[in-house]
Amino acid sequence: MHLLYSLRGAVWILVYLLFILAPLFALLAGLHSPARDFWTEFSVALGYSGLAMMGLQFGLTARFRYVTAPWGEDVIYHFHRQISLVAVGLVVAHPVILAVVQPELFSPSNMREAPLSAYLAILSIFSVIALVVTALWRVALNLKYETWHLIHIVLAVVAIAAGVVHMVGSSFYLADPWKQSLWIGLTIFWIGLLLYVRIVKPLFMLRRPYRVSETRQERGETTTLVMQPEGHPGFHFSPGQFGWLMVWGSPFKITAHPFSFSSSAAAKGGCVEMSIRNLGDFTKEIQRVPVGKRVYLDGPYGAFTIGNPADMHVLIAGGVGVTPMMSMIRTLADRGDKRPVILLYGSRDRESITFREELEVLEARLDLTVVHVLANPPAGWTGEQGFINAEMLKRHLPPPFSDHEYFICGPGVMMDAIERALGEMGVPMSKYHSERYSFV
Amino acid sequence: MRRVFADRLAFATGVIVILMSILFALSRVAG
Repeated sequence: MHLLYSLRGAVWILVYLLFILAPLFALLAGLHSPARDFWTEFSVALGYSGLAMMGLQFGLTARFRYVTAPWGEDVIYHFHRQISLVAVGLVVAHPVILAVVQPELFSPSNMREAPLSAYLAILSIFSVIALVVTALWRVALNLKYETWHLIHIVLAVVAIAAGVVHMVGSSFYLADPWKQSLWIGLTIFWIGLLLYVRIVKPLFMLRRPYRVSETRQERGETTTLVMQPEGHPGFHFSPGQFGWLMVWGSPFKITAHPFSFSSSAAAKGGCVEMSIRNLGDFTKEIQRVPVGKRVYLDGPYGAFTIGNPADMHVLIAGGVGVTPMMSMIRTLADRGDKRPVILLYGSRDRESITFREELEVLEARLDLTVVHVLANPPAGWTGEQGFINAEMLKRHLPPPFSDHEYFICGPGVMMDAIERALGEMGVPMSKYHSERYSFV
Repeated sequence: MRRVFADRLAFATGVIVILMSILFALSRVAG
């Protein structure tokens, strides 16, 4: 399975590079104007490939399960963020190099007589810069997630459309009708990817609604929504996967958020549960969701799911990061799967341990050991305290550590620390899986 | 760590695209 996923991953990387570079090298075919100096040609190539990378960003966020499966959605979103910096660097380098080698192009007199395509280039470049600034500093700019998301989409479309019109308008390389068609076709394809995720997918969701059949208040300011499919059989998911939940409004609104399923994947009737902690943002509204409310789910997604039954499964959770682990444990219980599992579970204090009582029951039914780690332990607490670290892992896990499968979910700082600790313990990257629930 | 892989992949993609852009420019200049 790992080999198959690696091969699929490698194929998708090659396809990605092909989509960036093939349209660039297609410009060399057929007739074209005489070459200019090296730096001008280099800057033009950077502009074309940078724009192709920008366009493919719509593909990275189109939630194609088959494409994202080898890595997981959170890694794809991380790549989307990192590669956007590269793409913006390339697009901005294009006019900067031109300004150095042909400063006369940017002289005030030339700018006054510049064609519309030159102004569209400026619009495109300012849009990509604004795109990056608003994405990197959304919180500092005090932008609400939904507002930012709308701005993000509009800026991306403006940047790409203005960039392509600039290319066609400049007509140096795109004088040939077939080259023009190629780049216009590519642009339609990129915008099509956006329409797929914003129009086509919501249309499917609209026809497959869910109804909240029960809400449960859990420990640790967490609310569980029990959702039943309405007029359709629902979907099958693997324990540990997640879905995009839309609670308020239609699926066309940009207010969906990703949450892990906390229920058993072996549950009958398509019923799914999500357990959501009040973190003070949009999640504080979840406790007010009434029974009977119609909601929409897009899923399942993610590569974070149980592995080889022969391996010990080490689940490391921080706070509400326990939800995908609960789905795994409940599924093992429903399937009567007695593989060895150890859950290291970090919580603020004993009262805020979500699912505490149920875990005690499941410990008796499964080959499951639960190790609670409390940041603020009560008086007389003899268990682990502080934060999960390498020493703690070594105390509770049998060697050799590299034989186990590790699953980590929790706050980013905790996950970084655990991943470093596993690296120090000699656990190879292929043996651990992490799920970051704050990837958007 | 999978994120480190994504970081490296983004970096490698950037390097490949710059090298290919140099190749594009050289092939144009060389005629």
